[in-house]
Amino acid sequence: MKSALRSAICATHAYSLRSLNPIRHRHSLLLLPRYDAVFPAKPSPFTSMASAGGGGIGSDAPLSPTVHVLEKQFEDFRHQLDGSGTLRERIRSAAFEIESATRLMHSSLLLIHQSRPIPEVLEKAKGQISVLRDLFSKLAEILCECPGQYYRYHGDWRGETQSVVSLLAFMHWLETESLLLHAEAEEKLGLNPSEFGLDIEDYLTGICFMSNDLPRYVVNQVTAGDYDCPRKVLKFLTDLHAAFRMLNLRNDFLRKKFDGMKYDLRKVEEVYYDVKIRGLATNGNSKGEQGDGESS
Amino acid sequence: MLNSSAVRKLSLMASKPQRFSHVAETVGAAAKKPRTMTTNASGSDQNPMKNAFSKYATYLNDLNDKRERVVKASRDITMNSKKVIFQVHRISKHNKVEVLQKAENDLAAVMDQYISRLVKELGGTDFWKLRRAYSPGVQEYVEAATLCSFCKTGTLLNLDEINASLRTLSNQSDEPLQINVLDYLLGLADLTGELMRLAIGRISDGELEFAQKICRFVREIYRELTLTAPKMDDTSDMKSKMDTMLQSVMKIENACFSVHVRGSEYIPFLGSEDTGFSMLGVPEME
Repeated sequence: MKSALRSAICATHAYSLRSLNPIRHRHSLLLLPRYDAVFPAKPSPFTSMASAGGGGIGSDAPLSPTVHVLEKQFEDFRHQLDGSGTLRERIRSAAFEIESATRLMHSSLLLIHQSRPIPEVLEKAKGQISVLRDLFSKLAEILCECPGQYYRYHGDWRGETQSVVSLLAFMHWLETESLLLHAEAEEKLGLNPSEFGLDIEDYLTGICFMSNDLPRYVVNQVTAGDYDCPRKVLKFLTDLHAAFRMLNLRNDFLRKKFDGMKYDLRKVEEVYYDVKIRGLATNGNSKGEQGDGESS
Repeated sequence: MLNSSAVRKLSLMASKPQRFSHVAETVGAAAKKPRTMTTNASGSDQNPMKNAFSKYATYLNDLNDKRERVVKASRDITMNSKKVIFQVHRISKHNKVEVLQKAENDLAAVMDQYISRLVKELGGTDFWKLRRAYSPGVQEYVEAATLCSFCKTGTLLNLDEINASLRTLSNQSDEPLQINVLDYLLGLADLTGELMRLAIGRISDGELEFAQKICRFVREIYRELTLTAPKMDDTSDMKSKMDTMLQSVMKIENACFSVHVRGSEYIPFLGSEDTGFSMLGVPEME
């Protein structure tokens, strides 16, 4: 049994009869009696060879009705999968639009680093929020067509959503110096949690992205002479980091982003230290020039 | 650490009295939450960020616990479905009925005990969110169920038939688990590997006809899947399975080929000692 099995597997690696020959003898003992039993009536070796070729594993064997059942099922599957494929295309194009709206918002928000007044920058960036609301309602509409499958297609818009959250949270912080909460983010985007909500993990990832932007903001604010900024950002980021540490995260992307947050925190701490040790934080603008050179 | 940051936050809040009303609202909502982790239980009542994050923490904890339970249920399904598959491989010419009967009973037990637990853990929701957690088990079950069914009837067990049996299972929960097309197809792709083993086993047991039937069946599935696989959601997984599948199909074909070729060479020899040889051969095998 064992040797027959092995040689049958051997045969799969070598087509030529030459390689089969050395083990032929063993087969003659084990396999051939059964071959004979399978094809009992053989007039001559030559015809038996031919008939075995025709009726054996040949593809010209007539298709049984069960094959049609099988074909029918796969036909249905392809139809279904085509449907979900087109749905996915539509979701992707909506996500693409969200991405370009987000990019516009991002670019107008970038002016904050060039020390433009906050209200002016926010004004412009906020213009995109209504666009995003429309796009998200469009996305929600598409997903209403396949109830219960939100998470099937989730991967196609989650990255875009995370960026949106990070920008909204940054804008919210600039305005209020507080964290944009999950429910507030949903409200800003006009999402209805009962049908199309903002996934909490996406929200948290977006918040981590926002934290990545803060060190640059602090550096540029100090350079521009706003010496109180590091203190405010440090307080916010410390609280945020403490809040994140309450979460039991899995070893996933969010965990990775959260692990990165401490570097943002450290950077802001360094800037705060640089400013504080030179007495800039209290003295205001008078020693601005000196601070420029020293602070990283 | 927590205390000092809480104090700092208090001072922050004090400088912004206009936000207190909003704070009070969220505090009230969060305080009613029955389950919170010990890390966020005390001292956080005054802080909206802490409150919000304790809610997120609860959400994440619940989700992770659920995922963990679903993974466990899935692993049990996998383990027991594998046992069914091994049982099917114990088949031989003479014990077919008993072996398949036992396999079917075992399969029914997998459904009753382990899949029902998965259905319970999923609680009628999150079929797609937690799909990664239970997909391996479901695929293995599809593999076992289709293998059993093929050995018994020689046909492919349809997804609708499996899902119909699942529907009877979960009358307690609102929405029954339905295996999705993707998991079914992934399970079928694995089925061919098992059928390859079965075919090789049958050939060495002399059941050439059965092996050839398997061969035709597997070819048919492979052919259909070549058309269907590229349409699937995540094709990378399926692509590697398709390669393995082609290997399996070729293994069966080559095994059938080698028996066919050798068989024809030995016919005259067999013809002379026809009955005696096969009588001799049979007891040697068992």
